Amino acid sequence: MSDKNMAGTRRRIIATAAAAALAAGGLLVGGATGASAAAAKSGGTLYMVTHNGQFAHADPQRNYTGQDIAFFNTYVYRNLVVYKPAAGPSGSGLVADLATNTGVPSNNAKTWKFTLRPGVKWEDGSAITCADVKYGVSRTYATDVITDGPAYALSMLNIPNNKDGSSQYAGPYKKTGQALFDKAVTCSKDNRTITFNLGHSVADFNYAASYPAFGPVKASKDTGDKYDLKPMASGPYKIAKYTINGEMDLVRNPNWSKATDIVRPAYPDNVTVRFGLDSNVIDQIMLTDSIPNTVNLDGLQPVNNQKFFAEAQYSARRMNVNDPYVRYYGLNSSPGHLDCLLVRKAFFFAWDTQALIDLSGGSQFYGAIGDNPIKPVLGLDYAPTTGNTHDSNFKAAGNPTYAKSLLDQAKTVCPATYAKVTGDVGLSIDLPNNATQQKASVLMKAALSQAGFNVKFNFIPGGQYYPTVQDITKQGDASRAGWGADWANASTVIPPLYLKDGGFDLSGNWLDPVYAGFAAKVTAALAMTDRPKQAAEWKSLAQFAMDQYWISVPIFTKQQLDWGSKVGGVAFWDPQGTFLFPALYVK
Amino acid sequence: MLKYVTKRLAYTLIVLVLVSLTVFIIFNFLPIDPARLTCGKSCFPALIEANRHRLGLDVPWWEQWIRFMHGLVAGRNYAEGSAALHCGAPSFGYSFNQHSCVTTIIGQAFPVTFGLAIGSFFLWIVLGVTLGVVAARFKGRLADRLATAFVLIGTSLPTFISGILILLFVALKFNLLNPIEMGMWHSPFTDPFGYFKEFIFPCITLALAYAASYTRFTRSNVIETSSEDFIRTAKAKGLSNKVILRKHTLRAALSPIITIAGLDFAGLLGGAIITEGIFNLPGLGRLSLKAVLIDYDLPVILATTLLAAAFVVVANLLVDIAYAYIDPRVRVG
Amino acid sequence: MVLRTPRQISWMRFKRNKAAVISGLVALFFILSAFLAPLITKLVGVNPTTTYTKALTQYGMPDGPWGGISLAHPLGVEPGAGRDLLALLLYGSRISFTVALITSVASIGLGMLIGITAGYFRGRVDAVIGRFSDFILAFPSTFMIVALSLPLVQRVEALHVAKDNGARIVVLIIFFVVFGWPGFARLVRSQALSMRERDFVMAAQALGASNWRIITKEILPNLWPTAIVFLSLSLPGFLSAEATFSFLGVGVQAPSATWGLVLSDAVTYWQTDPAYLIIPSAMLVIIVLALNLMGDGVRDALDPKADSR
Repeated sequence: MSDKNMAGTRRRIIATAAAAALAAGGLLVGGATGASAAAAKSGGTLYMVTHNGQFAHADPQRNYTGQDIAFFNTYVYRNLVVYKPAAGPSGSGLVADLATNTGVPSNNAKTWKFTLRPGVKWEDGSAITCADVKYGVSRTYATDVITDGPAYALSMLNIPNNKDGSSQYAGPYKKTGQALFDKAVTCSKDNRTITFNLGHSVADFNYAASYPAFGPVKASKDTGDKYDLKPMASGPYKIAKYTINGEMDLVRNPNWSKATDIVRPAYPDNVTVRFGLDSNVIDQIMLTDSIPNTVNLDGLQPVNNQKFFAEAQYSARRMNVNDPYVRYYGLNSSPGHLDCLLVRKAFFFAWDTQALIDLSGGSQFYGAIGDNPIKPVLGLDYAPTTGNTHDSNFKAAGNPTYAKSLLDQAKTVCPATYAKVTGDVGLSIDLPNNATQQKASVLMKAALSQAGFNVKFNFIPGGQYYPTVQDITKQGDASRAGWGADWANASTVIPPLYLKDGGFDLSGNWLDPVYAGFAAKVTAALAMTDRPKQAAEWKSLAQFAMDQYWISVPIFTKQQLDWGSKVGGVAFWDPQGTFLFPALYVK
Repeated sequence: MLKYVTKRLAYTLIVLVLVSLTVFIIFNFLPIDPARLTCGKSCFPALIEANRHRLGLDVPWWEQWIRFMHGLVAGRNYAEGSAALHCGAPSFGYSFNQHSCVTTIIGQAFPVTFGLAIGSFFLWIVLGVTLGVVAARFKGRLADRLATAFVLIGTSLPTFISGILILLFVALKFNLLNPIEMGMWHSPFTDPFGYFKEFIFPCITLALAYAASYTRFTRSNVIETSSEDFIRTAKAKGLSNKVILRKHTLRAALSPIITIAGLDFAGLLGGAIITEGIFNLPGLGRLSLKAVLIDYDLPVILATTLLAAAFVVVANLLVDIAYAYIDPRVRVG
Repeated sequence: MVLRTPRQISWMRFKRNKAAVISGLVALFFILSAFLAPLITKLVGVNPTTTYTKALTQYGMPDGPWGGISLAHPLGVEPGAGRDLLALLLYGSRISFTVALITSVASIGLGMLIGITAGYFRGRVDAVIGRFSDFILAFPSTFMIVALSLPLVQRVEALHVAKDNGARIVVLIIFFVVFGWPGFARLVRSQALSMRERDFVMAAQALGASNWRIITKEILPNLWPTAIVFLSLSLPGFLSAEATFSFLGVGVQAPSATWGLVLSDAVTYWQTDPAYLIIPSAMLVIIVLALNLMGDGVRDALDPKADSR
């Protein structure tokens, strides 16, 4: 949920490199990352600013936001494997970090082994052991305390579920079913090799293991919910101070040794994150360069962004890149909502995509019209779809005439739905409550009314947005959302977006008669180990989802980075969708 | 006197209890389900129920209220097993959103709100009373007209507009405020300069809104008192105008102002939502606004509401007692 | 020597106060134009819901200086969506004036009723009412409105009383009245208390008139000046309160527009399109100022002792 402007995107993606490219460990990352060839320098304080009041989560098992993962994996915690700290496509490969290898699969990828690097220590000076990693992984199962984290451990490890879908293991606090977990995750006698026994084959399990959710936590230092305020450091910095709506201060961790770490150059002496600053204030800092050692974690507001990217004086402090996300509106196809293909299609064609793109910065800064929930950077899994935005009736600025004709057909095919969306009840759109979306609502209403829709808006406060729309009883007819693949496999796109239990299904499609057949195919594709065959399957499933108009016009979005004149080594970390934090230094 | 104070004290306590009951009832019947909000992804009914239990929302509202009251006196425990937490007395609850005891959170926010309240209080009293006295003294002349103009503009400028204009077109435009420092707490005792730099603009914003009505009030009070018998007597005694103003008129004219000021100050201690919001001050106002508009953090919402109410009620009590002390007639009536 | 009724005397006094007359006219102008919004926008040739994208640059900013002020758009256009600012403000101020007016009248009506009851019946009734208004005033009103409005709007919608912005307006009005009446009730109570002891009430009581008759025929007519003064002074207060709450995101929501909404949107553009921020804030301040000045004039005219000018 990289929800930085409450715009509604979650998680991340990876570049074109095939998932199987297991980069060998052992290469040291210098300061020479991409553009900046100047020598990197140690020392100084690096500032980061954001309008958010806090990191979504600092607890490794609860951390599931691209930027936060990148931040904490770089500065505070070490992880079994991490993305290679390099700009460009090579940044999407894995390198061993806490482990000495990037994972050894066996038993048709149903068993994965990682051996820990010797000499790596916690903030308190004790050694990091296999037991710590095992304990860390177990925390994901304490779903009532450890909320919001990725559920990969839950769905992959070989532990049976209860009837209601919950795991038979209740986590390390309650310890119910502890024996089941002890069987699924085991440590070698020397406490250095961890083995994961999976319930089904997962060819790219090590990519899931790149999440801090598979990272270590020392049982004796676990403070439950409060661990989210002060996780114990294993990386180059420790948290000296963290106040919500205030700041986070990182200082060097004396128990981190550079000799055991091949991925973190750890240039600055201090890293300070300032939370809760007003967006106007942040923009002012960046525009005037008043605090030159600052990195903007949010990106500028659209109107200032255009100024910043148009004027030459800022050219050394900006970057415009493709981000990992696809943004769209989930169309709720459950009964009583948009339970009629023709109506969903009419919505799709009435939409004034161009005006909404222009509002957020135009195709130069916001993104381009897409045709697929899978972004082209996934390479193997992406193919242009047919129909939808390639239909001859599709117009970027909306085609109210065609939409109207579709609605007219719906009048006879599904009169109840037609009556709802054109009548007094109307079609309701869920939006996070912020200035941009309020303005966008003006444009949406203008376009959809032309086609004959009666549009209503449901503005939901930022923090309540996803919990509300993910509740089918509270969701409206169309809900703003965004999603990025977790790694280069559409297994992290199609199932979460379109399976009932996938975690992010906003289409209410499980009550649709076509769902059963679709879901069976998705489940089958998930277990495939033949990658090209699996890719072909994802392509056809994406086409099917688009043909059902389960989502509105997808936008392949872009992202802009901006920073102060005294920040060096800036590059974009493709898989994390944010700054390449390890390379940043203070000039 | 003692009897009166005891009576008022008992009454204040009853009001506080009633207010807390009302707040619990109101929030209990709202259609928002905090348990659902904490559930995140991969949510299923059993988990929502577990969260409801963890948040203490699985019991009827009156039991929640009893637990809250008990927590205030004796502290409270949350969660189970090795993840258990304890919030010491006086416990206002635990915020799973901010991972801290609400009392701790409030302890961090209150100094900021207090710093803002005390600074602006000082400004508006000095500004309002001085202008009022000057206006009364030079009634009908230029100084009076200027004071009247100030009053009109002050009462007509909504705080959110004056705040924005001061922040954007004064503080930021002329770099008078280090933006990265905005919202960092500086104690007026250990870092007076830092405090001044951070609080001067929000204090001016708030003081503008309050000073106007004080100017108006002081002016009319001073004019009214000047025509009273005891002032005429003083004049007849041959005292100079200055001495009369200082020793007699002001003393009589300002005592009602002090009580109003006390109530206004207490109102501000609950948090200045708009000013704190505009100037990024992490005080009680911004805390509660964020808790409502962004996170729906129920324990924080309850605590800030009750605290703000408590300030008002207690200030009323103090003012009443002060009045009773000054004017014995109140005690009987 | 011509004998004048009190009403005539007050009117004379008001007319002599130039500032009050002028501001009264200004206020009247704004109120009239708000209620004639459809006519005015038609004359200018604009529409509050049309997005005039042609008046925007490719970056969505108004084309031309001062927020794109032109003959077609006398106050410029809204950046981003491109709606006409004049039309937005006219239609927005309709909502604001309606809320302020209804709230003022309702809270004065309620306050009058309760205040008279307390003052006239005294004793236990008075004590209970006094305690109850203390209780209401103990709540932090701003915060309660912010905290409760969203869920209450859902409740109002569920009851089918009103929908969307209608429901939001209803909720806002209810809140303003709930927190607004005690102030006026206190004022009325003290007046009713003293009036009770006056000869004409005593006489009526001696003649055996019912309480109801005394209240409606003897006391109420004498309270009208107080009510009018209070009305004229609370109108600008509620107007800016409505703006403040919609600025905070409580109250009317996009795609409709009010002062507060326009201003909260305009803050983002303070550097790139300052006119968009300054024009609406200046207009709001002018309206509130005019209403305040007029209110002062009304008070001086009806009750010359209140503020010894």
